[in-house]
Amino acid sequence: MERLATAPRPDWRAHVERELGFVFHTIDGQPYWDETACYRFGEAEIDAIEAATGELEQMALALVDRVVAVGEEAYTRLRIPAAAWPAIEGSWKAGAKNLYGRFDLRFAGDGPPLLLEYNADTPTALFEAAVVQWNWLEAVHKTADQFNSIHERLIETWLNFGIGRDPVHFAAVANHTEDEGTVEYLRDTAVQAGLATQRIAIEEIGWDGTRFRDLDNAPITTLFKLYPWEWLVAEEFGAHLLTGATRVIEPPWKMVLSNKAALALLWEMAPGHPNLLPAALEPDAIEGRVVRKPIYSREGANISVLDGGRVTAETGGGYGAEGFVYQAYAELPRFNGNFPVIGSWVVASQPAGMGIREDSTAITRDSSRFVPHYFA
Amino acid sequence: MKKSSSIRLVLLGSASMLLAGCGDEGPPQDAKFFSSTEECSSLYTAAECAAAKAEADRFHAAEAPRFSRKEECEAEFGPENCATQTARASEGGGSFFMPLLMGYMMGNMLSGGNRYSQPVWRGTNNQAVMPGKGGSFFGVGSFGSNAATGTSAFRPATQVASVPRGGFGSTATAYRSSAGS
Repeated sequence: MERLATAPRPDWRAHVERELGFVFHTIDGQPYWDETACYRFGEAEIDAIEAATGELEQMALALVDRVVAVGEEAYTRLRIPAAAWPAIEGSWKAGAKNLYGRFDLRFAGDGPPLLLEYNADTPTALFEAAVVQWNWLEAVHKTADQFNSIHERLIETWLNFGIGRDPVHFAAVANHTEDEGTVEYLRDTAVQAGLATQRIAIEEIGWDGTRFRDLDNAPITTLFKLYPWEWLVAEEFGAHLLTGATRVIEPPWKMVLSNKAALALLWEMAPGHPNLLPAALEPDAIEGRVVRKPIYSREGANISVLDGGRVTAETGGGYGAEGFVYQAYAELPRFNGNFPVIGSWVVASQPAGMGIREDSTAITRDSSRFVPHYFA
Repeated sequence: MKKSSSIRLVLLGSASMLLAGCGDEGPPQDAKFFSSTEECSSLYTAAECAAAKAEADRFHAAEAPRFSRKEECEAEFGPENCATQTARASEGGGSFFMPLLMGYMMGNMLSGGNRYSQPVWRGTNNQAVMPGKGGSFFGVGSFGSNAATGTSAFRPATQVASVPRGGFGSTATAYRSSAGS
């Protein structure tokens, strides 16, 4: 694994906007898509990341099975409200299919990939990984390979989802460019799989007392939502979503995996696993430097690095009321002052590709840049 | 090989075409939907009905959006709502896809008193859509089901009852955050 400085395509902004509809390459005046550099991997390194991703997903699914079997005690440790338990159990036992997820891994080529966290419910940076870096590869390193068949696998997965003729409604938060871009990309892949689709803002969803309705008052029978389950269940219409009247993607059982307390339960289930870092729900259970993460948090908010109980680095934010998980600190590799994290994708629970986010600090945040990769 | 062998997009980028919202565009207030001249003749003379249908047919043939691939057409208009057409030799031949003509809206123009007629196509979700300005479309109602045709299946857009909304989204507003991760 090495970081290479590369010459950006001279017209790349106009190109990605026009050809790909990629409009959030620059956020608040700062570069988000960054092709002044790329990462080059060896084939064996990619094989290691792919294999670890497949194994982590199998462990994650085994954890859901275990949590559903244990029931109340496990749900309580995960801070999942009781109202959601039947929907989790029901969707898991019915084998409700899932679309995608992203494992964030610490990898430097000096040992096995290590799981930092699993974004199982609302992962983003999908379009950038699936399409924009592929388009870059075709232009810049056409003969090289890339760990990235995300696009093809998404289309294939929609084909096998068993969705009938009714449209799938794709919902994102209104007026949020990146979230809308991610959802519109997923809708594009669904259309290519022959599905009928509609877009709707999460705020526009109607409830008529019996069914969810779109802006034309048509019933919403299948809903893709880029909106966390833990937020949905706590909001006004949340209880109606748990009745199962509308099929939701991701399915309710993803609630077990999309909260960071699952990291502690994974470690309990498979202590010493080479792809896991020690993690616990109690502050003193792990020796040495630890990272404290809110059980529900997003975009790197409210993360602290603790050394002997003393805070040595932290990010701000408004999360953490529901408690924290503590994970052994794993030093991120540093390339020319940049700290990369591998976002390794699963589509329908199969390893599908990866994207790299880079930050100038050791805590990856929403301002971290997306840098393309290839391998040879 | 671990990379996608090919990628194309049908909604994003240069492939995209917007289905416009309703806004202030719309047919004249008195416009009615007919699926045939027979249905039209209960309100208008046979000559008026024939002229209105001919005008809508002409617009459909000349101005309806054309797509080289069926799925691109279906991305805009929904599954099974597109038909293949052969282009005239004068247009270079070949075949393309265009939305299904379900009927036409007909009424008096608000000014000038001319007859008004526009084609109506079936869009996604059984929406009834009509051409607007600059290649956009707007909804004028809906059809009862995917198989339904004829005037009896048409429901004008104004009869939509109000449904409580806004029961989702408050947490994102509170955190002023992306809902992704």
